[in-house]
Amino acid sequence: MKKILISLLVLSIAVPAYAIDGTQLLKQIDRNLNPESYEMYRKLINIEPNGRKMEYTFFSIKKGVDKIAGVFIAPASEKGRSTLRLGDNMWLYIPNVGKPIRITSLQSVIGGVFNNADILNLDYTAEYDAAGVEEKGNEYFLQLKAKTKMVAYDRLNLWADKNKKLPSKIECLTEAGMLIKTLYFKEVKDFGGRIVRPSIIETDSPLYKGYKSIMIFAKIKQRDFKDEVFTLTFMPNIESLR
Amino acid sequence: MGKGLLFFLAWVIIFLGSFAFAEEEYKFDLSEIEKKPYHLGGYLELRPILFGLDRNASLYKLKFFNRDEGKTIEEYDGKLRLEGSLEKGIARLFVKTNFDLQYSYLGWKHNEPKSMIYEGYLSLKPSSSLSFNFGKQTLLWGKGYAWNPVAFVSKPKDPDDPELALEGYITASADYIKSFQGPLKTVSITPVIFPVYKDINDDFGTVNKLNFAGKLYLLLYDTDIDLMAVTGGSRTTRAGIDFSKNITPNLEVHGEFAFINNQKSRVIDSQGDISEAKSDAKSYLLGIRYLTASDTTFIFEYYRNGAGFSHLEMKDYFTFIDRGYNLFLLNRNNSLLKKAASVTEGNYGRINPSKDYLYLRISQKEPFNILYFTPAISTILNLNDRSLSLSPELLYAGIKNLEIRLKAIGLLGGRGTEFGEKQNDYRVELRVRYYF
Repeated sequence: MKKILISLLVLSIAVPAYAIDGTQLLKQIDRNLNPESYEMYRKLINIEPNGRKMEYTFFSIKKGVDKIAGVFIAPASEKGRSTLRLGDNMWLYIPNVGKPIRITSLQSVIGGVFNNADILNLDYTAEYDAAGVEEKGNEYFLQLKAKTKMVAYDRLNLWADKNKKLPSKIECLTEAGMLIKTLYFKEVKDFGGRIVRPSIIETDSPLYKGYKSIMIFAKIKQRDFKDEVFTLTFMPNIESLR
Repeated sequence: MGKGLLFFLAWVIIFLGSFAFAEEEYKFDLSEIEKKPYHLGGYLELRPILFGLDRNASLYKLKFFNRDEGKTIEEYDGKLRLEGSLEKGIARLFVKTNFDLQYSYLGWKHNEPKSMIYEGYLSLKPSSSLSFNFGKQTLLWGKGYAWNPVAFVSKPKDPDDPELALEGYITASADYIKSFQGPLKTVSITPVIFPVYKDINDDFGTVNKLNFAGKLYLLLYDTDIDLMAVTGGSRTTRAGIDFSKNITPNLEVHGEFAFINNQKSRVIDSQGDISEAKSDAKSYLLGIRYLTASDTTFIFEYYRNGAGFSHLEMKDYFTFIDRGYNLFLLNRNNSLLKKAASVTEGNYGRINPSKDYLYLRISQKEPFNILYFTPAISTILNLNDRSLSLSPELLYAGIKNLEIRLKAIGLLGGRGTEFGEKQNDYRVELRVRYYF
């Protein structure tokens, strides 16, 4: 009898942890961060150890789980540079060069700590499986594993607010568990259209000691696009969608 | 190095140093993302160049046979690029102008007025699937980095600086795009009407011809594939195919194949006899782009130029120039040099005129955590005569809207080789661009 009582007690503690469906939670986090199809403006700022800053303004559009495109609208030296991602395929179009070239998710079109995968980020559920989920105080702790080798980071450790179901911190790791960078999600803001999400993502990296990059979200709006705008041929015209 | 060039370099370094500390505080103003119906921008470029002349080289003799400019010459290039666009409804007018000013041992020079408009066209977009462009535009086809044998309707690019903007041609074109689910994700069709008449694209080929070109693009099994062709009489009919694919996230492979029907060639032998022949030419390119974990990018390409000259043909051409130069030294008779010059333009004098080349570029992004700094080294190897060019460069773009590039090109090769017979032994240049 005593054994049964102890077993019931253990189960009553353990069951809530196992009751959380990591995949469902991740889906919810994805939808809380962005609508499935949207347009948004972001400012990317690289900050060097001496305090010097470089800023980039980026307009991006997304459709479904695997289509995202964007164009730099400032500074003048980057204006018109557009990027496209279709699943694992990524391209960069430089107006001066006049034709799109294939790039990889690990590269960075702007330099600094953010790479292309951070800027052209798809839904987490599109690229990662939830390998484990735990409750830690007021937060969920999710361990995510890349679905394929084509994904920029092999593993993610994601901390999310329990109530808002929004990420507060993400560690990006190699397969061997080496930390590549940490993303900090800050200042939850109401963007209208029932989009309430962090308006700032800060990142630092042990690979870039003393350097920091910040992403500030200005406008996020649900918007539907035709599939044809997510094509190589349309890349020079992405700015016309603003 | 000339004193003038040294003074200029010192001035640029001092000027940029003061610029670096003049950065303003960051702010995010929503007015920055407000879209205006018009746009004006561009850049101002200054480029002092020092050339180290090879006074024994055939091409030096061809150009400088009647003048002595010493061992080095300086050149100061300035460029003003202006871009403007105006949008209303489905229409967009775009103009890109280019004003080049040059000071060299020949004095002041600027580009021809008709070359000042690089692009200028009206674009109509009735839908996201369909667009039409009318006017002067650059249609750069192909996947190669240094060379594009399938770029049938654009001016040839310079493998020493493959990312330079090219002047366009006056054309009418359309783009129709269709997306699908499944392995075939995208199909797009680009038909082009290419007129060649007096004062319209007359440098393209035979005038008074209306040419037609077209490109079909497919994204199939995550592979970019293009099929293209041009016909109409200004140049002989040609067709091609290219592809590009990521094998892994950090390894891309690409290739091009071009078939040129009845390509004409003019060959001069060492005695000065010129023969003309027509044959079908097949050119192709195979390349990779590889990114290492430490952000080093390798671009490696092999280029087979089907319309190129053999090593022996190149050697004969250089031998004939040397004969012409010796005749000039003997009795001031430049008739043979004139004859050699007549087969140079657009023939032996075109960019990379030989048959087989290798290209390698290694660039390192932000070494030692120096943001926006990219050192690189590129080489073009002529496989037929084993001569090569070697170009180290340092690029810094860490100051808002300013880009600084210091580049050198060294040419290595024996007598009778492509790079060994160029007029220069080396070239050093500083390029400073300010975008606005």
